[in-house]
Amino acid sequence: MNRANFIAQLRAGLSGLHQSDVNDIIADYESHFADGVAAGRSEDEVAEALGDPSRLARELRAEVGFKRWEQDRSAGNFVGVVLALIGLATIDVMFLLPVLGVMLAVFFVIALACVGCVVGGAILLGNLIPGGWTLMMGNTALQTLTGIGLVSGGIGAGALLLLILDWVARGLIQYARLHFRLFKSANDSI
Amino acid sequence: MCVLALLSKGDNYAYDIASRMAEAVGMGEGTIYPLMRRMQNDGLVSTYLQESGSGPPRKYYKLTKAGAGALKSQITDWLAFEVAVRKILGDVT
Repeated sequence: MNRANFIAQLRAGLSGLHQSDVNDIIADYESHFADGVAAGRSEDEVAEALGDPSRLARELRAEVGFKRWEQDRSAGNFVGVVLALIGLATIDVMFLLPVLGVMLAVFFVIALACVGCVVGGAILLGNLIPGGWTLMMGNTALQTLTGIGLVSGGIGAGALLLLILDWVARGLIQYARLHFRLFKSANDSI
Repeated sequence: MCVLALLSKGDNYAYDIASRMAEAVGMGEGTIYPLMRRMQNDGLVSTYLQESGSGPPRKYYKLTKAGAGALKSQITDWLAFEVAVRKILGDVT
């Protein structure tokens, strides 16, 4: 395998990551080839010593995915973490998948419920504005309290949900690193 | 641990670290990059670019304070492990 082949396979394995991350990684390996050739080795030798590019891509994808999540906890990055875990394709992660799926579904439903509470509460409060529609609950004080309760409850529960999601993701990352280490034979004691 | 030890002797770039590790323990050279990335994520090493004599600037890795601490505790663990293994081997031979 020559340099172009190696880089192409690596790039294919990294597809879907942020372009800046991919470029950063490719630059690392390009300079590795350049250094190797400068040291008198052939491209084939360097590629041989580097190892399997698709395997490297999986490991790199995992590291980049975890880092993205630690920097920015967005839904897209959470998907990135999950995809990276699947990419590692350890049996344990496969075993976790159904659990993960159910958890994601539950999170989604609770998130929807939170949004519903906030919207419902806001409608009740907005309904109080004089000259608007007629009161929904008859009693102004009751409607105010219910509205405020729903909005703050929805926001609070949503925040809590995000906090829990963060814990879960961190736990998964730790778990994957631990197991991946075992899978990678002695490499990590190095 | 060995990578941290290499870096504790001075900043270095990945190609040099990889070829030293490959020579010493037969590690695949390519695995150095995921490993460096992980250590960077964990705050054990930091990077900076430095002009090289030829070609584009090189990415150098530098041990951070946390990295130095991690190295110290890993060395302690390793030495304890070594003593334990030697004790067992001593019983056998």
